[in-house]
Amino acid sequence: MLTKRLHRLQGFLLLVSRRASNVAKQQYDVIVVGGGHAGTEAAAAAARVGAETLLVTQKIHTIGALSCNPSLGGVGKGQLVKELDALDGLCGRAGDWAGIHFSILNRRKGPAVWGPRAQLDRQRYREFIQSELLGTHRLTVLEGSVEELLVTEPNPEKPGCHRVTGIRLAGGSRSISASSVVLTTGTFLSGSLFVGQTTSPGGRIGDAPSSAGLSHTLREALGLRTGRLRTGTPPRIVKDSVDFSQAELHPPDERPSPFSFLNTHTRCKPEEQLPCHLTLTTPGVERVVRESLHLNCHIQQDTKGPRYCPSIESRVLRFPGRKHQVWLEPEGVTSDLLYPQGLSMTMPPDAQLRLIREIPALHRAEIHTPGYGVQYDFVCPTQLDPSLQVKNTQGLFLAGQINGTTGYEEAAAQGLWAGVSAARSALAMPPVTLSRTESYIGVLIDDLISRGVTEPYRMFTSRAEFRTALRPDNADLRLTLKGFEELGCVSSQRYYETVRVRDSLRDALEALQSIVLSAANWRKKMPDILMSENKFTSLSGQDVLQYNTVSFEMLASAFPDTLSPYMEFSQRLKIEAVYRPHCDLQRKEIERIQKEENMALPQDIDYFSLPVSLSQEVREILDRVRPSTLGAATRLQGITPAAIVHLLNYVRHTGQKETRTHSKYDKNREELHTENASLVKL
Amino acid sequence: MLLSVRVGMLRGAVHKLRTRLLSTKGGVTDGLADAETIFALSSGHGRCGVAVVRVSGPASAAALRGMAGITRGLPPPRTALLHSIRDPQSKEVLDRGLVLWFPGSVPGMRPAEAGEFTRRAFQAGKLGLTEVEGLGDLIHAETEAQRRQALRQMSGELGRLYQDWSHRLKRCLAHVEAFIDFSEDELIEDGVLNQVDRSVCDLQAEIKRHLMDERRGERLRSGVQVVIAGATNAGKSSLLNTLCQRPAAIVSPIAGTTRDVVETALDIGGFPVLLSDTAGVRDSTDLVEREGVRRARERMQQADLTLVVVDCAQLPCDAQRAADFLQEHLRSVLATEEQPDTVFSADKCLLVLNKTDLLPEDGRLTLERELRRVPGLPPICLVSCHTSEGLQGFLTELHGRVKTLCGNPLTGDPTLTQARHRAHLQQCTAALAQYHRYRDGDLALAAEGLRLALTSLGRITGRVGAEEILDIIFKDFCIGK
Repeated sequence: MLTKRLHRLQGFLLLVSRRASNVAKQQYDVIVVGGGHAGTEAAAAAARVGAETLLVTQKIHTIGALSCNPSLGGVGKGQLVKELDALDGLCGRAGDWAGIHFSILNRRKGPAVWGPRAQLDRQRYREFIQSELLGTHRLTVLEGSVEELLVTEPNPEKPGCHRVTGIRLAGGSRSISASSVVLTTGTFLSGSLFVGQTTSPGGRIGDAPSSAGLSHTLREALGLRTGRLRTGTPPRIVKDSVDFSQAELHPPDERPSPFSFLNTHTRCKPEEQLPCHLTLTTPGVERVVRESLHLNCHIQQDTKGPRYCPSIESRVLRFPGRKHQVWLEPEGVTSDLLYPQGLSMTMPPDAQLRLIREIPALHRAEIHTPGYGVQYDFVCPTQLDPSLQVKNTQGLFLAGQINGTTGYEEAAAQGLWAGVSAARSALAMPPVTLSRTESYIGVLIDDLISRGVTEPYRMFTSRAEFRTALRPDNADLRLTLKGFEELGCVSSQRYYETVRVRDSLRDALEALQSIVLSAANWRKKMPDILMSENKFTSLSGQDVLQYNTVSFEMLASAFPDTLSPYMEFSQRLKIEAVYRPHCDLQRKEIERIQKEENMALPQDIDYFSLPVSLSQEVREILDRVRPSTLGAATRLQGITPAAIVHLLNYVRHTGQKETRTHSKYDKNREELHTENASLVKL
Repeated sequence: MLLSVRVGMLRGAVHKLRTRLLSTKGGVTDGLADAETIFALSSGHGRCGVAVVRVSGPASAAALRGMAGITRGLPPPRTALLHSIRDPQSKEVLDRGLVLWFPGSVPGMRPAEAGEFTRRAFQAGKLGLTEVEGLGDLIHAETEAQRRQALRQMSGELGRLYQDWSHRLKRCLAHVEAFIDFSEDELIEDGVLNQVDRSVCDLQAEIKRHLMDERRGERLRSGVQVVIAGATNAGKSSLLNTLCQRPAAIVSPIAGTTRDVVETALDIGGFPVLLSDTAGVRDSTDLVEREGVRRARERMQQADLTLVVVDCAQLPCDAQRAADFLQEHLRSVLATEEQPDTVFSADKCLLVLNKTDLLPEDGRLTLERELRRVPGLPPICLVSCHTSEGLQGFLTELHGRVKTLCGNPLTGDPTLTQARHRAHLQQCTAALAQYHRYRDGDLALAAEGLRLALTSLGRITGRVGAEEILDIIFKDFCIGK
């Protein structure tokens, strides 16, 4: 798999130009605007589902660029990467290709919260994503800037409802039509860059600002509510100027664990991995921040920044008198730059230099590119439905930072889901859902559309109430099968591999269950497991595997005939044995939530005139958020249990009508099936 | 509430009124469930001379006008007026009573479901969950002490206790979550977890202590179970009749008169008591009597307090021998088939030596003095149900015991009043034990324990969302990645 990739990469530049100039078509099923983490996953997913897809980006060269930190994964984020991979997304495999320092965070805290993470080589990551996109069937990449989003006038029968028809490109009046458009414009929506007292329009340094036309359409023509957020990036430091003797060395894991379920090893050999270094701030850093505060526009404005990825300015101002961590991360195998994680700043460049030199390991460091801040518009995501489609505009999907999130993984997850949804909508396939009870991607989407954001949204494991079931190790079992059978975004190769894994795990657990010994016999057979002398009952192999002291390997060497065929899954089996009893306990709660999620609240409800006893405040919240299901409504802040009881009552009353619509839909589907069947006969 | 009509009237009229209120339904718009008007008898179903009927909902005004015979407008709000209450159709006068209404804002009628008024108040955010339960108890409060505890719970004291636990547990969970989600690249140290360990231990101890209130709060709600037991013809039924001041049980000189459990509710010094008279314990060939004895033993096992009645004429004259006799007697009465050698607990029973009128005056005093010196015997009361002699002293003793069993509702920890609370709190402590079990091996499963504990508490105080946990994390830690 990995060696094949090398050949494809060598010819990728050639492919770029040919693909880009070869756009003759005027119509696509899906158009994706933006080539970042959300855009690339969206375009690839839409094409995998079967849609003729066009990806429009300002520069083909920056497709797959890591604009901020050179790393992927982590606690919570790593779970997203595993899930994206399980759905045949790009980023997991790209991470395995580009990773130069792999580690599993939280190794001692339990497999449900392990955080697979890697430092990446920026160049390699971009190469991989570009080659992957250009090799994707049904996907065309076009370099260009979108001037305008084309939408129909509101439907007189449904006031305020639009339909997307396509896009118009800048520099000419060329329009391209499409059934679905996915916007993944990141920080470019009315983006401004800040360094010191200087402000300039743009979403990323070195790139042209996006056209004002797009913002205009979203706000004025579609009437979408937007908010403003800010983020920042640290200065890049010249590697040779760093005094590593004054920093703490952090080596990677000895054996890199790949992100992708398809890979058994990473491109980077274990011994080729690069280390990271840890250093701490000093009181001098705080002094420079305070001295330069009056020259720092970005920090003075009260636009919402993330609490968990704050600039060094807000860190020292909020928690003064402390030492703050600064990680020195490699930017790539051949790069001579370092990325100082934790030093995002927006003060004038000369103050930035003074600041970093207050840190012992950076006392004579040189800055290659100064840090800067970005302020940008986001569309309040409560205006989206669970497929990430804008509620009042059929066919328009939004994904990534435009929805108020932060982070590559969060963007990629939305991108994949928007791509799948956009393609299915364009191809008139039945809509699909992804629940928060089955995936972190579901948690992310549900949180966004039902709660909205007040600060850039980042994934944490604590956001997932069923964390013990949504583990990184079982993302394939949770999502790959569904991804193939229901969503249509998973290749058959991956599907059959997952089926094999599922069947083997099932057989292995049955084999473990079949081994039943009395406690006394267990003690005799495996003295190392330190089973209590007070235990008299008989125990199965699965019970014994739950012991801290027992590994699958130990059991396999005691019962080689029964268990040795499953050695390849030893770690997964151990995790499964420990977690299964807890997950069984959660099943009831999961079923309750799924039941509530199946109770749809019609999207055209007029909450203000609804003849249901609801307070004005609750009506306003419901009208603003328009939760798509009763389950989503229960998770809204400010919604009282009373309101839920009344809504439940309402849903039950109107339920009969719903069922009727469904049966009609089912009938259509039956007809379709008959048609397909006759096609097969022909 | 939208509008209340409170009608004071004789009970007999209530049924008629119910029928009338039901018949008004057809005349008003038959709207959606939520626009329905509900009514109920609010004054309980016990003995009462005065009834309160409460109506709430959009058709309340029509009901008020129709039944109070008001032709134009409505009387001034929040003002009690004496009116004839009439059948709205036939205009027949049902009763006379006070009518008053409270204004509301919104526009069918059906009988309220149990607790629907309170549920509406709860749903409108006017009452917390524990307050609603307190109100439910208040409505059912039959005695003064129950009323006081219900009031105390209404004012949210119990609610505040649970809120405090919930708050502390939230912090523990937030700190563990911070350690899971951030510690690797932040400055969150292992010390955070040690602090959580201590807090979890404290919480466990507090909740366990609260649970070990020996069901006092529940007793206050449902009544202290007091069982009268003893040999046949000791005068158990006479004691019951004397206590409830009416012939609730048949008394006769024939041994084995009482064959089944006779139950009666009493108010002893403001505390509710459920008093049961049981069949005399003896070996019998009579199938019915044997069943009676089995039931008597079953009752004694569930009892909070057993009154062992002994005919004092049966006692040996010598005090030491009398003490031995009583020890043996208690054992035979209180023994169960499973535990034939049961050791009776002195604080769970009271010895009642009956028929003192059959003893000479000085003999009675000597017996009393001598027996009180014998260690290992439960408190003893000498009474005569026949002459009421010693009854006052017995009642004082009984009151003291009942009071201890219920606890003073106005001091100390608010006691548990709901079996539901007990169940959730037990789940909560079990989940906290899960935290300790996995603390060192798997922090995700340890945190799951805290989350389950918080969910159990949340079933009493209202739920806790992930966002609240994150808010605590960001308030307490400098997260800066």
